[in-house]
Amino acid sequence: MANTKDIVYGLYNDEEDLLRAVKQAKADHLEIMDVYTPFPIHGLDPILGLEESRLHIAGFIYGAIGTLTAFGGMTWIFTKDWKQIFGGKPHWPVPSFIPITFELTVLFACVGMVITFYVINGLGPGVVNPTIDLRITDDKFCIAFDKSEVNAAAAESFLRSSGASEVHSKTI
Amino acid sequence: MNYNLTGRTRTVLFGGMLLGLVCLLYTWFGINHSDDTLHTRFWANFLHNSVFFTGIALMAGFFMSVSITAWAGWYVVFKRVWESMSLFLIIGLILMTIMGISTFLGWNTLYHWNDAESVAHDKILQGKSGFLNRYWYLFGTVILLAIWTFIVSRIRSLSLAEEENGNSEEFSYHHTIRKYAATYLPIAGFGSAALVWQWIMSIDAHWYSTMFAWYTGASWFVSMIALTILILLFLKNKGYYQNVSVEHLHDLGKFLFAFSIFWTYVWFSQYMLIWYANVGEETIYFKERVDNYKALFWLNLGINFVAPFFILMRNDTKRKFGTLGFVAGLVVFGHWLDFFLMIRPGVKHTAHVLGGHGDGHGHGDHGHGDHGHDTAHGAHDAAHGAHEAGHDVAHAAGAHADSVFELGYTLPGFLEIGTFIGFLCLFFYFVLAKVASASLTSSSDPYIQESVHHHT
Repeated sequence: MANTKDIVYGLYNDEEDLLRAVKQAKADHLEIMDVYTPFPIHGLDPILGLEESRLHIAGFIYGAIGTLTAFGGMTWIFTKDWKQIFGGKPHWPVPSFIPITFELTVLFACVGMVITFYVINGLGPGVVNPTIDLRITDDKFCIAFDKSEVNAAAAESFLRSSGASEVHSKTI
Repeated sequence: MNYNLTGRTRTVLFGGMLLGLVCLLYTWFGINHSDDTLHTRFWANFLHNSVFFTGIALMAGFFMSVSITAWAGWYVVFKRVWESMSLFLIIGLILMTIMGISTFLGWNTLYHWNDAESVAHDKILQGKSGFLNRYWYLFGTVILLAIWTFIVSRIRSLSLAEEENGNSEEFSYHHTIRKYAATYLPIAGFGSAALVWQWIMSIDAHWYSTMFAWYTGASWFVSMIALTILILLFLKNKGYYQNVSVEHLHDLGKFLFAFSIFWTYVWFSQYMLIWYANVGEETIYFKERVDNYKALFWLNLGINFVAPFFILMRNDTKRKFGTLGFVAGLVVFGHWLDFFLMIRPGVKHTAHVLGGHGDGHGHGDHGHGDHGHDTAHGAHDAAHGAHEAGHDVAHAAGAHADSVFELGYTLPGFLEIGTFIGFLCLFFYFVLAKVASASLTSSSDPYIQESVHHHT
């Protein structure tokens, strides 16, 4: 791998310890590389200074495209392309279009957002994700520092003093 | 810190209640209209607002019970507001008992099935008379409302006792409250369906819809969430409830958004099934509303679906008090209009039929001739003699013949708005007085810490 990183990371046993440690790191101006948790932790994003995702804006656009596709498509089919009469209804029976329009809106929004998410994050078949420690998918909460960004000794002592149960170094 | 209901708020609320009372009295004494000889407009206004706010109180208790039963904790900082809102069932019990007695004794002519002569000539109404009768109406209303009132009062007093004697480490009160909450859920759920069939759906006595209880329930629920938001914003604005954060209001905003969509879903399901099946006795309900109440019919969808859907879709509009409060106010009015649209067409029709018949109520012919209603009534008379199928044709003809613009029937007039303001002020006064009568936040609820630190 071309761009490997030397990291130092600490494992915490509790998300409250992690939250406190992240706040402390911010106060100490230690540049955190990333935080890994088994589940989403409320209040972590604003402390880390992460911006709100714009994925939902993309979702709205995909949904709107779905709405227009379904409604426009059915309108074209039933009024221009192939007029038919169903149950004595007019050629443009708007109420019966609504369920399909709804379904296609949801479908376009979901599939579009999933694909966008994968593309933006560089995910896909065959991608190997360097796992720092397998236990961060189970019950450990991890703060990782990049040794090229912070003083390794300072980061290590910070991790120990802020309540990490284990501190390790690794190259990923 | 306790809230005190004094000063200008009190004056304004009393002023609003006075306005409502004046409007109600005026609709009783001041209206000289051929359709209103039986005080139809008064009773329609009274029923409309009583049902609307009773349902909101019911839903406040319902959602509180759902939260308690589901081990939810986020709402606990402001649970006194929901307790107070649900206690409005006491007023609802009084209002609906008046309505029940009025129906039992035949003081109002809102319900076609309550007219003995009409039922005698009408096979459909005879078939429904096992459920649509004045005994069921009065006693069903009183008994079910009394049970609901009892349960929400117990939850309230247990919650107060918990704060007095318990602490947040102790669960004995909470366990008892849970039992009451779990009992309330099925009784309120099934009971409200049965009652709303009686109260509102039976105004269109020949018509029925299996979606109706869901539809009105969603309407009440959205209004309840919107009023909760308005009350919380008001109290926050006064400097109270600083522990109710933007996170709590964000969640309420999500409920407002989600249940506005749910309301639309149910509204549309009811419409589309009836539209698609195209069965005469069902479509008459919507034909009447689309033809003669066009503006309200579309405004209903605009206010209650399009506006909350597009305004509250973004994250930040749910977190800004301006937009959230604006949508909440809009939606309360919108669902009040929704109930107007459920009630008035049927009421107007029944007033025509009963007012023009000169039946057992001792009211003769009230000069309908100059309104050009004679043909319609002739058609009705013929239909009453004929079998069921003929009735709908006459119904349609009658609806068509009197599609004139009438304030108070085809559109809410100033008297309707005034009455609404009166009931709204009564509701606010009652809720704020109940909120003031206890601490704003219970320090002894087991979930209080979860709620204080709530984060979306």
